[in-house]
Amino acid sequence: MKEEIRKKISMFLYHGARIILGIVFIYASYDKILHPAAFAKIIYNYQILPDELINLSAIFLPWLELTIGSLLIIGIWLPGSVFIGNILLIIFFCALMYNKARGLDISCGCFSTSQGEAPESTLYLLRDFSFVVIAVYLFIKVFISESSGLKSSFRITP
Amino acid sequence: MTLINSQIWIKTSRQVLFIAMIVLVAGFFSNKLRSDKMPFVEDWSEKSNTVTSSGENLELSLSEAKNLFNKGEALFIDARSGAEYDAGHIKGAKSLPYKEADWQFVEVMAGVPEESAIITYCDGKMCELSMELAVFLRNAGYKNVKVLSNGWSVWKQNGLPVETRAQ
Repeated sequence: MKEEIRKKISMFLYHGARIILGIVFIYASYDKILHPAAFAKIIYNYQILPDELINLSAIFLPWLELTIGSLLIIGIWLPGSVFIGNILLIIFFCALMYNKARGLDISCGCFSTSQGEAPESTLYLLRDFSFVVIAVYLFIKVFISESSGLKSSFRITP
Repeated sequence: MTLINSQIWIKTSRQVLFIAMIVLVAGFFSNKLRSDKMPFVEDWSEKSNTVTSSGENLELSLSEAKNLFNKGEALFIDARSGAEYDAGHIKGAKSLPYKEADWQFVEVMAGVPEESAIITYCDGKMCELSMELAVFLRNAGYKNVKVLSNGWSVWKQNGLPVETRAQ
């Protein structure tokens, strides 16, 4: 009985994390897909990428977010989308941290492409960190359950 | 228990490849189809954000700005938010946040003659608030408006006079 409840909670957490992360990615992609030029400016402001990669990132990155967000919500191709999601979130986190350390006063460009608001870098960092935690949890979940051949039941130990 | 075996990595790589293909196609065609399409590679260093739509460059160099400041011949206007202005601004600058320019304009610019030299600034290499504000002021009749690019940062870095909120 106890085992059953644990399994249920575990399943609930797993699907919850998957759907939350999916929504986050889709929500993040929406404004950037509509305004790639504004997004390119924000990427430029971060002063991390070389000029040649700025427009390419602005054009393709939002579609990557939309794609993995959709895959996460639908629940297919999870190893691939969870893997990419982890990489993206960790890169975003590093970029935010790097700029905080440099004291660069720029817009986050996380969920919108508007530049007017005063940047709240600590808040962005915390928010991004919580997404990283969810993503890492999913990574462990997906990769362990898949590799131990327990696709349909999400037991932690075989 | 093998935590992560090689099979899942093969599967993951395959899915990553498929996702990459979807993204490449979607990005390529969406960019091709939109009216304001962008080139895949662009020289950002040459992009200036201080040129008006009529081709006039409003940029002012730091040394020129410093000169005018020392002679007290120019009015500096901070285009950033009020909170950022409070935290620190160029000495003697007025605050006119671009976002609130419409309704703060009359109050802030009262008594400033139309021919006076005005320098707008904000912060960050690509910050557009100062340029937008300069265009706004020009449209409002001020003829002598210039932009100090990345103004707050360069001003601070060069140890020029600053102050926090004017009492």
